[in-house]
Amino acid sequence: MHRGKASNDVYRAIADPTRRAILDRLRAGPANAGSLAADFRASRPSISKHLRILRETRLIIDARRGRERVYTVNPVPLQSIAGWLEGYRAFWQSSLGRLKRNLEDK
Amino acid sequence: MTTLSKAAARAVADLTEGEIVAAVEISASRERVFKALTTREIVRWWVRPGVFDTTDWTGEVRKGGRWRASGTVRGEAYVLEGEYLEVDPPARLVHTWNRVGAPGKPTTVTYMLEDIEGGTRLTLKHTGFTSQEACGGASAGWQTSFERLAALL
Repeated sequence: MHRGKASNDVYRAIADPTRRAILDRLRAGPANAGSLAADFRASRPSISKHLRILRETRLIIDARRGRERVYTVNPVPLQSIAGWLEGYRAFWQSSLGRLKRNLEDK
Repeated sequence: MTTLSKAAARAVADLTEGEIVAAVEISASRERVFKALTTREIVRWWVRPGVFDTTDWTGEVRKGGRWRASGTVRGEAYVLEGEYLEVDPPARLVHTWNRVGAPGKPTTVTYMLEDIEGGTRLTLKHTGFTSQEACGGASAGWQTSFERLAALL
């Protein structure tokens, strides 16, 4: 019941508001770095840095389309965070239920 | 004062805050419930059958005192330990929670006990599952974007 390094990196990646906004934007459909930079009124190097961090944690996946590189969102890494918290959620629900039974069945 | 309900314990995970919130209503006094939270009686309920089984617990229940529990999780031995941050019987108990040998910062468990008609409402918060950075970066837009992402899962 602990999270591994990969999930830590995912947390770090989604801690940044611009990167969350990029993920949100990519939910609407794939985009290339140029159009993301325009949407966010950010410089290309700044957007590239965010895209690299998102790519490294596999929160986004890039694919070549002709001469350009387009990015799409990948929800799978988020499942590790959800799954890890779910273990604790289930534990507390089960154990508080048990506490109630212990104290009432007397 | 509300009346005791027959409802079962409920726990929800909040991914955006990195916390678990759980609640249960028990037909026993706050003093009785508090005792179950702060004695070896813990081994009788820190249990999720077949998954998480606490077999031993010791603790010095005072602010700054420490507790330690051991058992098995999915058949593997584990040791948990922590420090009491607040001990205010029979209303409130706060302690840290750290799995020995696991990476990451300790999390925090807060128990709040309220009188209700016919018993006690126990509310638990287990917080600190995100890194400081992740918490600091939380913003209004964050929740909706995570909800939309989560809808994909």
